[in-house]
Amino acid sequence: MRTQLLTLAAIGLAVAGPAVAAPSVETIARDCVVCHGPKEAGQVEIPTLANYPAKKMVEMLSGFKADQKPATIMNRITKAFSDEQIAALADLLGKK
Amino acid sequence: MTTRRTLLGGGLALGAGLALPATLAMPRLARGASPRVVVVGGGFGGGTAAKYVKQLLPAAEVTLVERDRQFVTCPFSNLVIGGLVKMEQITHGYDGIAKRGVKVVHDEAVGVDAGARKVTLKGGTVLEYERLVLSPGIDLNHEGLPGYSEAAAEIMPHAWKAGPQTLLLRKQLEAMNDGGTVIIVAPANPFRCPPGPYERAGMIAWYLKKNKPKSKILIFDPKETFSKQALFFESYEALYPGMIQWIGGKQGGKVEKVDPKAMTIEAGFGEEKGDVINVIPPQRAGRIAQVAGVTDEKGWCPIKPESMESTKVPGIHVVGDACIAGAMPKSGTAANSQARNAAAAIVAALEGKPAPEPSFANTCYSVVAEGYGFSVTGVYGATAEGIKEIAGGVSKLKAPAKDRDLEAAYAFDWYRGVMHDALG
Repeated sequence: MRTQLLTLAAIGLAVAGPAVAAPSVETIARDCVVCHGPKEAGQVEIPTLANYPAKKMVEMLSGFKADQKPATIMNRITKAFSDEQIAALADLLGKK
Repeated sequence: MTTRRTLLGGGLALGAGLALPATLAMPRLARGASPRVVVVGGGFGGGTAAKYVKQLLPAAEVTLVERDRQFVTCPFSNLVIGGLVKMEQITHGYDGIAKRGVKVVHDEAVGVDAGARKVTLKGGTVLEYERLVLSPGIDLNHEGLPGYSEAAAEIMPHAWKAGPQTLLLRKQLEAMNDGGTVIIVAPANPFRCPPGPYERAGMIAWYLKKNKPKSKILIFDPKETFSKQALFFESYEALYPGMIQWIGGKQGGKVEKVDPKAMTIEAGFGEEKGDVINVIPPQRAGRIAQVAGVTDEKGWCPIKPESMESTKVPGIHVVGDACIAGAMPKSGTAANSQARNAAAAIVAALEGKPAPEPSFANTCYSVVAEGYGFSVTGVYGATAEGIKEIAGGVSKLKAPAKDRDLEAAYAFDWYRGVMHDALG
């Protein structure tokens, strides 16, 4: 029974692309705000996201993902996310 | 989408026994009592777990048990050894997390009764819990390397737990004559901070280049490959040509024995004398994990990726260096990310809900000189076969100097950010 369920799950996942079920955007966002901390974290170079316009955030993240914008690390990270996830993250974290 | 999630959830839940916490915890919640969560270990994993459980479920009574009054981070301790940052900059208190409503108890957990759900502290206190998080980090297995011991570590420091050992290694480098030999004995996998020994070589070279330029560094390594290897080699060549030599497994890099009296190590091809010898011994999960019965035969803790709950003992979640996290390395960021997912799963269990789908991330910066850094990063998900990487990788080779400079600056910002998330 268990094997059957897992196999079915595996098929579902294979069809969907990345080998894992989708976590919520809130869950993903908690990883973003480690490096992109709130003001109180006192960061110097890495932009805080709270005042970052959501529209520009989508533009930047999509550009990193497509290797069309220069990046040191975000090009590697953004490839984990679908366009829908990027839009949802920007909506949650950015300024409307 | 719903079908996919339901199927996967069902598949995992069969093996996970997630119904148990609900039956245990719900009556307490139902009669208005606060669910109790005990977290052992106040590092990146434990601090984060305690903070996020409290944040997600303010009604929870969260107790953080930590032996020390201050947390000295392993991240950036290599920079203290190199002289780039001061010890005070990597030393943190627990006031921030206490202000968030977490009860911080400075004591040592010495016993776990998983059946009765109780933790015993050295001072005699007994803490009851509905959910226990163990984030004990690593124990150094000194005896795993013949000739090495806790006493030997005073002569050949490991500096793999930040604090007095970090300063000891720094002092030894300061006392060394120009033209001396520094030996780093790197461990076999798995171990805390896979790029750490090689960042350390860079940081030591940074100090030596300025102060004792005739000196050399030998890294003895049982492994054939290591984390960010090409980037480290590129940086050594660019910054410290001829100063750092890596002796890998194939070249006889496996150290069989050390002799602290003679200040020698014995490797594949023979004996080597060092003026400063940094021995990073084999490791295993922190002792309380062994006491609690959550370790496997190799000394690490198998977990269910969807909740970080031990596969061996229900009600105990293990995060950070002590757990077996599939594709994730043993790093501060990994511990921090695992702890956030564990906290969400714990809160869900206490509320009688299934664990939300987790999402994990890791970022490790290595700084090998002032203004020269690079990184490895990954985004991970939970699968039936464990934690798998979805995307990630290392910095580009032959990147322009401005990128290395930026990544060094980002490393400092990463440090500020992760400290804020864990203990701020």
